Amino acid sequence: MKILEVRNLRKQYPGFLLDDVSFAVEEGCIMGFIGRNGAGKTTTIKSILNLVRADGGTVLFEGNDLWANETESKKQIGLVLGEFDYYKRKKLKTIAAVTKRFYADWDDAAYETLMKRFALDPEKKIAELSQGMRVKFALALALSHRAKLLILDEPTSGLDPVSRDELLDIFRAIIEDGAHSILFSTHIISDLEKCADYVTYVKDGRILCSTDADSFKDAYRLVSGEAADLPRYRDRLVGYRAHAFGFTGLMKREDAEASGELRVAPADMESIMIYTEKEDGHESAAE
Amino acid sequence: MKALLNKEFKLCLHPTVFIYLALILMLLIPNYPYLVSCFFVCNAIFFIFQTARENGDALYSAMLPVSKAQTVKARCLFVVIIQAIDLVLLAGMCAFALVSMPHTNAGGTDHGLTLLAFALVLFAIFNVIFLPSFYKTGYKAGSAFLKGAIGVWIWIVLAEGLMIASPAIAFSANVPFFRFIAVNLDCFPKTATAWTAQAIAFGAGLLIYAACTAIAVRLSVKRYEQVSVQ
Repeated sequence: MKILEVRNLRKQYPGFLLDDVSFAVEEGCIMGFIGRNGAGKTTTIKSILNLVRADGGTVLFEGNDLWANETESKKQIGLVLGEFDYYKRKKLKTIAAVTKRFYADWDDAAYETLMKRFALDPEKKIAELSQGMRVKFALALALSHRAKLLILDEPTSGLDPVSRDELLDIFRAIIEDGAHSILFSTHIISDLEKCADYVTYVKDGRILCSTDADSFKDAYRLVSGEAADLPRYRDRLVGYRAHAFGFTGLMKREDAEASGELRVAPADMESIMIYTEKEDGHESAAE
Repeated sequence: MKALLNKEFKLCLHPTVFIYLALILMLLIPNYPYLVSCFFVCNAIFFIFQTARENGDALYSAMLPVSKAQTVKARCLFVVIIQAIDLVLLAGMCAFALVSMPHTNAGGTDHGLTLLAFALVLFAIFNVIFLPSFYKTGYKAGSAFLKGAIGVWIWIVLAEGLMIASPAIAFSANVPFFRFIAVNLDCFPKTATAWTAQAIAFGAGLLIYAACTAIAVRLSVKRYEQVSVQ
């Protein structure tokens, strides 16, 4: 069942157009929402939640119009926009006491458990927390009102590898019951390799693809060859990097399989994104 | 709305609000334009908006299960509550001044219902300028306050100026209009005519306040709906 469905979302800014964005998040899954800085990830998330007024499109939450039922829908959604960076001089317990008043389904026991699990001291002020702890506090708030869908905008950016890994474990644990889903935007692709079931890739305000993680990776191959082979394959390369001994690049799977003399290897998400983002898909970098 | 108001009191309330509300004691200063004390309350309101902005309140509120319109309405209600507290304090100080300061106020409006009416109009002017101006962007509190403050000060000069000038014009040139103001409006009401005149002024002030604040809220909601919360 689709817990969130975005159809033809559109937002025009001077110099930027979020155009015809469509994708769906399945129940019990983690969807990675990827793209480089400025691709439109945050604008999409903010438009979904009406923080930014979209120029067009529809957003359905559990099959109902999210914007028409904004208050009720938001009760079921936990939103984490990076770290908790609000009211830094206030104590965690003050923020929690204010926040819980908005949710009839607030679960004090779950909140206490999460605070202990994340080693968060309610007497501390937001300003006294590290970046990772602020993300954890934001998660504790989002998870304590029994949200069915977590929308996380760059939650792991700026965290050290250990904290990131810890958070990814938490994400996997959250969806284990099959009743929770996560939409998780990031430009740290290695995080997605570890936990995403589905991937939606946004480039320059347009959705490049939205599919399951395995199909996404399987659609491409990393190839390498001699410099003399490059002119012959240049048009079929999504992106490539030329070097003194030849070139390495990314090809669509069917093109790679049809190429006889190139060395072919499975593609990882990071390579797919790096080669795809190269200007015109064919930027070379002499090394 | 209750939860949002709770948030306003627990997170957005700036300590200077209490200090500025305490400036109601300025009503004990002999011969002073007492409307100035209300301007300080506008200053306190500006601090609330600035504090909320600096603490990322717009994004924090946007994450909560409330609409943008509800957040605007809650903040406006918070403003109205602070202004109502100031008006109650103002009424109390007027009553106190009746026994402690029997002399007339040569510096502006006397302690009376007229002062309350003028205060209501002052807050009405501030609300109708400041609130929609702020919510046009959702973050430019400084320029919104500057515009509101200009409106408020024009009103203070006009209202207090009228009260200062009325007795002089009334008794030197014997103009009935100014004589009426001096005898019935610029005083603590003791005669039936003065009570009636000041009650009408107070009623008019209430109407102006209600109308302007309602317009301010409506405009603010409409404008903030178009703002991208950053």
